[in-house]
Amino acid sequence: VTDSPKGVWFHCLPRCETYLPCGAGRHIVRWEAGELRLLSHPDAEAELVLAALGGEKARCVEVAQAWERHAEDLSVLAIGPRGPADEIAVSWDDVDAEVRASQFGGWTAYAPQAGGRHPGPGSRRGPRPLAPPVPARYQQPMQDREQAARRRNDMLSLLALGYGFQVRLIGQVAEAASGWPREAGEKIRPSLVAAITARLAPVAEEWLGIDPGQVVVTLHRGPGWGSAELIGRGEQRRLRFSLPAGWLALVWAAGLALTGRHLVVAVERAGWPDARVLALRAPGTEPVPLEVHATAPGPASGGLDVRPGAADAPHWEVWEV
Amino acid sequence: MNGERAETILRLLAEAELRNQLAPDPPPWAGGPGAGRVKVYVVGQALSAVGALDRETVEDVLADFDLAVGLRRLHRARPAITRRAASAARLTAQLSPGRPAPPPNPPGPPPAIQAQWATVAGGGPPESTGSLGPAAPVPADPEQDAADRFVPIGLTVPFHQGGLSGELYLMSFAHTRAGARLIVLWGKPTLSRDHELGLQQAELFPVDLFTVADNRGSAYELDFTPANGSEWISQINLRPVPPDGIRWLEVVAPPGPAVRINLDPASGPPGGEPEVSAANLSAGEQLLIMLAEELLMVAAQNSPAMRPELPALSPRVMQTMGTGLGDIIAALEAVDMLPPLSPVPAQLAALCESLRIDGHEIAAAPADELPEPWLSLLTYYQRRKPDTAQVRDGFAAMTAALPELDGIRLALVGLHNTQGTTVLHVLARGLRREERLGPHGADLDFPLSFWLRDNGGRWHAARPIGWQPTDPEHSIGLMLVPPLPRSTAWVEVLAGGRSGEVRARLPLRWGAPP
Repeated sequence: VTDSPKGVWFHCLPRCETYLPCGAGRHIVRWEAGELRLLSHPDAEAELVLAALGGEKARCVEVAQAWERHAEDLSVLAIGPRGPADEIAVSWDDVDAEVRASQFGGWTAYAPQAGGRHPGPGSRRGPRPLAPPVPARYQQPMQDREQAARRRNDMLSLLALGYGFQVRLIGQVAEAASGWPREAGEKIRPSLVAAITARLAPVAEEWLGIDPGQVVVTLHRGPGWGSAELIGRGEQRRLRFSLPAGWLALVWAAGLALTGRHLVVAVERAGWPDARVLALRAPGTEPVPLEVHATAPGPASGGLDVRPGAADAPHWEVWEV
Repeated sequence: MNGERAETILRLLAEAELRNQLAPDPPPWAGGPGAGRVKVYVVGQALSAVGALDRETVEDVLADFDLAVGLRRLHRARPAITRRAASAARLTAQLSPGRPAPPPNPPGPPPAIQAQWATVAGGGPPESTGSLGPAAPVPADPEQDAADRFVPIGLTVPFHQGGLSGELYLMSFAHTRAGARLIVLWGKPTLSRDHELGLQQAELFPVDLFTVADNRGSAYELDFTPANGSEWISQINLRPVPPDGIRWLEVVAPPGPAVRINLDPASGPPGGEPEVSAANLSAGEQLLIMLAEELLMVAAQNSPAMRPELPALSPRVMQTMGTGLGDIIAALEAVDMLPPLSPVPAQLAALCESLRIDGHEIAAAPADELPEPWLSLLTYYQRRKPDTAQVRDGFAAMTAALPELDGIRLALVGLHNTQGTTVLHVLARGLRREERLGPHGADLDFPLSFWLRDNGGRWHAARPIGWQPTDPEHSIGLMLVPPLPRSTAWVEVLAGGRSGEVRARLPLRWGAPP
């Protein structure tokens, strides 16, 4: 986690909560200050030990583990939402259906699984067939399929938490990626370029009316916020941006990208609900500092079925130029 | 090689396709449902084929793309039927019983190409292209064994024993570093009534009946192995390897008599020395040529005349094969695997236009002229009537050792017709069988362009349909499209690689069955 004088990456994000079906009831999962908290499982570590010994594993704990597994997974950037208009609606019923499908979809149905399963929706309890010996030539494909199923189940669970959690996970992954050493960072540059392009392009379309396909991004490294220029005309028009990976975490995940007709390129002083950002009025101009203020409906509190959707995302306004 | 650039291109393409596919009103170039995935897939395969990107990265990008699209469609209504899907549905409906067949879709190639066709199709056999100029020096092959010897045979060995009768057709003799063998084709055996009734078990390939000896009286152990993945084509390996200098071999099966094989190369039909010309194709150009040839072969096999009973399939197959070609070209150019001034994209565009493939999205304007073999196959594709008679079964003895191309050495050891299909048999050195597939089914394990021109002027494309991998040589069956009629007296082989092109003229000695 970056802890610069300008603030940590998540300082512009308020806490966020949702309910999820866990065991016989519904439990609250909260994201706060960059961490996922299981309010109904104060001793998750102990529960994990019990699960390893054959006890039931709570869904809340499974989700937290999935979060941890994917906190540096660049696939999250490729799969997750591109913006509020791209809300990915996954329900816990979808998650349960996917788990059932992967259980009965072939070899994975017979594979021994570590730990027990919780009852209730999506219960995977019950007698399991004895595992027959798997011929060596099928072991690798079987493992690949199991991995793919687990990855898909993980993603579904994380997305089922709602848009608010989705963007925070994206922020966390982007922040982790921006901290990679230079040499290793080069290997992940294509993923980061695609991830920024994917999220900047719709913002630029709203900002300038430019076709998203005409937005070209390179990854900025080093001092400064980066650069932006608009070149060409007609079909040859290109909006070229150079931005750091941290833009996804500090700006985009916080919902700051387009604030008061300005495209925000950096955060000078992170905070909630007040922050100071650097923003462009137009491409090719120097960014100007803006004091911005956020309003949001606040943490989800409308009942057991409420999840933080795109409509609950913070709305930032220019407070003072 | 800029792998980072290649990966960035693929990921950005996936991003663009995700945007297109999920747009409320997808743009026309987005194609039908699934077209986006096809594009990402084929561009990934293309970048992998030219070595710009590893396969694992391509698989990762595709896995993310599939999940991203799939999750967004979880609760969406079924996608609206696009123009292309509607067209397919209409064609499917037309196939329903009781409905008349759709009117034929007259082909309409660009005028410049029509004029070129006229020369090939209407003007009789085209003039020989003649020499390709002074032969370029063939790269020396340090492993080339001077003892490599290929002799066409063209003889039949009949056999009869215990109610089983049949013929073994001897196509050629090959002696290389990998050993000495006869390339043979089994005829369909005739079974006695007891065999037919199942009272006696029939051995369809009675290898134990045969013996082989040479002019010095030495007998050989015979080891039959299937060639090209088919048991009807076999190699009879001779053990020990015959010494240099033997003049003939005799193959005997009951009731006899012995069939003598003259191993003096001069005894075979005369053939011309291969002509070699240099080339300097980029990896991208080579791949595009392979794609074009794959497209031509699929077109020829799915032409309206070939499959009048399935008119809906041909356009569908062809449209699918055109998907992503423009993206492939753009990606290859972007990673410097395709020169910006290469003529091949324009030729591929012209080919797509000729085949009425409208979704290729190739930016280059269609070329005015196409390579002669392409035109010949296009003419075959566009014929209005199916071939009235299937080519007759039979085999042709022919051998030729082609000069090395791109590190690959091919020896032609015969061809045969069966059930309307012609298969050319080659021994190949310098290839690896990894079952690597390129975009749209291109076989990357056989990275050569391979054509035969018959003495009537018609070109026949070749692609592998069967491999028998052995170290260090592979026995490969190349299917010819269109098949070669038994009236063909000679063929000209044209093999092209990145570094050069080889032409060789070979007479054919057709054998049984009559």
